[in-house]
Amino acid sequence: MKSLPKLRPTAWDGLVVLFVAVAALGLAVFQWRDGASQGLTAVVTIDGAEADRFAPAELLESPRTYSGGGYTLEVSAAPQGEASALDHVKSGGETGVRVTRSDCPTQDCVHTGTIARSGQSIVCLPARIIIRLEGGAPDPDGVDAVLG
Amino acid sequence: MKLTTRQLTLCALLTALALALSYLENLFPLSLAIPIPGVKLGLANIVTVFALYALGPGEALLILLARCFLGALFAGNMNALIFSLLGGLCAMTAMVLLSRRRGLSLYGVSIGGAAAHNCGQIAAAMLSLGSSAPLYYLPVLLLVSLLTGGLTGLASACLFQGLRHTEWRKG
Repeated sequence: MKSLPKLRPTAWDGLVVLFVAVAALGLAVFQWRDGASQGLTAVVTIDGAEADRFAPAELLESPRTYSGGGYTLEVSAAPQGEASALDHVKSGGETGVRVTRSDCPTQDCVHTGTIARSGQSIVCLPARIIIRLEGGAPDPDGVDAVLG
Repeated sequence: MKLTTRQLTLCALLTALALALSYLENLFPLSLAIPIPGVKLGLANIVTVFALYALGPGEALLILLARCFLGALFAGNMNALIFSLLGGLCAMTAMVLLSRRRGLSLYGVSIGGAAAHNCGQIAAAMLSLGSSAPLYYLPVLLLVSLLTGGLTGLASACLFQGLRHTEWRKG
């Protein structure tokens, strides 16, 4: 045995935990700070190249499918099996976007669920497809427009 | 670094154990509870922690590299290599640095390693996709690493506790 490690938690361990927690929260606040939920555009990137760009509400008419890396993803406005797509429209916000079906082995994109704020994304690694929400008002609580 | 036959055998054994553990953790699909790519228990990290203290950083690195290459080979997915390699090397570096701090126990070292592993994997995803989108998952992954790192820390602590009553230390 080269060196015997300490087996019981120490105060210094608490410092490591605190550091990781602060890093996580700091990053989360930084990312969600300007996460607008209105006037969004969903941008679909396949293998690094932009493939499509649409307003999430367009999905209410019909879901869209994207293929990459031999896999196909179905993107729609509401989870399958829900009574109405409109049920998923959040008050004050717009329609969320989610992957309802995918034939990829990991299914992480399906499990990620609905994204509805600017900066959020659904990543499918096997298919190399990223669905990212962009745009929207920079400050959702601020003044929308000033009329003269 | 010169390895004795005993050390070489132990390294081989630990590599096999690490591979078996990474396979075993598929039976505990943590990603069902927390649906984010990259969420896993990190049981193989117990082997890295053990090798780090029982053998040394050099041997621990050899075991890690062998585990990553063989794991990708067995899975038939060389694309996964950059993920396990970058994650593993980040975890390794963090744990070597943290283990030098006398005040830290196995828990702090394991949690630091788990958090660094997630940072490495997110970096690999960003490189692989050429996008900063995976960074969005990092805050949740870091919080999960507190739990998984704590668990592997507990397992390692039990392991070393058990070894106290053996002839291991003379090895």
